[in-house]
Amino acid sequence: MNLVWKLLRQHISIPQFMGFFFANLVGVVIILLGVQFYQDYQALDSEDSFMKADYLIVNKRIGAMSSLIGKENTFTASEIDELNEEAFVEHLGAFTPSSYSVRAQFDVDGFVNFSTDMFFESVPDQFVDVKSDDWDYHVGEKEIPIILPKNYLDLYNFGYAQGKGLPKLSEGILGAMKLKVQINGNGNNDTFSGRIVGFSSRLNTILVPEKFMNWANQQYASQDAPKEPTRLIMEVNNPADDRITSYLQDRGYETDEDKLDASKTTFVLRVIVSIVMVVGVVISMLSFYILMLSVFLLVQKNSSKLENLLLIGYSPGRVALPYQLLTVGLNVLVLVLAVVIMLMVRGVYLDMFENFFPDLEIPGILPSLGVGCVLLFIVSIFNIIAVRNKVMSIWNRKD
Amino acid sequence: MNKIQLKNTLPNVFIHRDDMVSDIWKQDVEFEKGRIYLVEANSGTGKSSLCSYIYGYRHDYQGQILFDGEDIRGYSVSKWTNIRQCHFALLWQELRMFPELTAMENVEIKNKLTGFQSQEQILQWFEMLGITDKINANLGRMSFGQQQRVALIRALCQPFDFLFVDEPISHLDDANSEIMGRIMIAEAQKQGAAIITTSIGKHINLNYDQVFKL
Repeated sequence: MNLVWKLLRQHISIPQFMGFFFANLVGVVIILLGVQFYQDYQALDSEDSFMKADYLIVNKRIGAMSSLIGKENTFTASEIDELNEEAFVEHLGAFTPSSYSVRAQFDVDGFVNFSTDMFFESVPDQFVDVKSDDWDYHVGEKEIPIILPKNYLDLYNFGYAQGKGLPKLSEGILGAMKLKVQINGNGNNDTFSGRIVGFSSRLNTILVPEKFMNWANQQYASQDAPKEPTRLIMEVNNPADDRITSYLQDRGYETDEDKLDASKTTFVLRVIVSIVMVVGVVISMLSFYILMLSVFLLVQKNSSKLENLLLIGYSPGRVALPYQLLTVGLNVLVLVLAVVIMLMVRGVYLDMFENFFPDLEIPGILPSLGVGCVLLFIVSIFNIIAVRNKVMSIWNRKD
Repeated sequence: MNKIQLKNTLPNVFIHRDDMVSDIWKQDVEFEKGRIYLVEANSGTGKSSLCSYIYGYRHDYQGQILFDGEDIRGYSVSKWTNIRQCHFALLWQELRMFPELTAMENVEIKNKLTGFQSQEQILQWFEMLGITDKINANLGRMSFGQQQRVALIRALCQPFDFLFVDEPISHLDDANSEIMGRIMIAEAQKQGAAIITTSIGKHINLNYDQVFKL
């Protein structure tokens, strides 16, 4: 093999291969970073729902007139079906309100003592952004898991507690405390214990599991209580879609404008990441083209040597092997270096992420590594076949 | 491989010539293992074409060429590779050597593929042909006559049933031609192989079994 390589390495153009190497390196780094950044960003997404913007909560506008003429602000089944049919809606869920009275008492060793009338709502579990194993209820249990809106905690900590000189409470402390919940209606009166399992940024309500809500509404609600929901939650594929805004306006529905804005930010970020990745793919494809041109030129320049090797008994496979190893070797080198660069860049931005979200669970680099290996595999297969075909054209004396 | 047959074979370029007088083209000809043939030719009568057809790298002919009764047109790439490694040795008129490599490397690139000849044997041939001092010289710097001798050594670095030599002594003096002839005969006899030599005038003095006029 040494002598064959000594022959075939003649005319190798270092500048051409360097050109390919760096162009491809840039392309692959961009692709890997794109994949990895998107992966890391999604972890961020599920960590803190302010980034998760493709959930919109819809309600009917309450105006002075509707109150006066007693117009219902609930959604009818046909209205819900109609909304569900729209192309921009991925999933649709309804808020189920409690049709009974709830009184909660919050007592911490005489330190803090609240007692308040309140309400519960529930949504299908798939829309709940707090992931907790405790978020489950079985009929007969006396403990109800509860999710509060995150801004309730902020209101208490930065408003109420600050003003009254009371201790500030963390999510963890609240999770360990119990609430006394009294429910009555339909002639029944029961006491439950409530436990706060999390705080939601997405759902601005006091949330209990849907299973509990269904059971409790049967148990405690009077027959004539309204059954139709007043609020809907929908998952949309593109929150920046104009059709959403116009649809909601036409029907006099309302949604959280801020959320729409945040949605747009997320969507734009997603588009930018996609564009950057497309640019990476284009650069990689162009660099692949450079490599193929260089190899073809090399084969062309060495065609008489290749032909003579074939004529003295070397098989086309053996003659093609050095160039195949050369291209595959370059590809592997590019991938290894690209992964190293990707890890370095990622280290920098992960540091920033961690400043914002200390609890962030950092995902692995398996996805980007996988994409890199798949790319390497595909490109190498193409290279191997192209070199082989080129050598076969010399065998067949087509050039 | 024991027998090469040409049946009514004619290079495509000669199709429109009706004044062809040839012992080989458009005839039924056989070359058999163990014998020595001379093909005499004038320039432009298709001598190198004959070599390239039999060696499988050109197919622009009419009629048939058969190896042991098998038409060679359907041969696969791997079959040709095997024939070139183990059955036919060819010394090209244009040599087809690698000027970037040394004389020894030119021989080794073949012998490493086949592993057929010992280093001693190769060195002995270099010595017999009077080019020992050129062993490590770049082939590109050697005269054509010296290159011809290296090319013969390379051609012998493989097992063969037929040895084709296309104008092997065009640039050699009589003494060297004589030595070359002896080496060829000795190696062919050792392997029980045939020698087919071509010439356009000067030819090696061998004990030819048959002479063709192309």
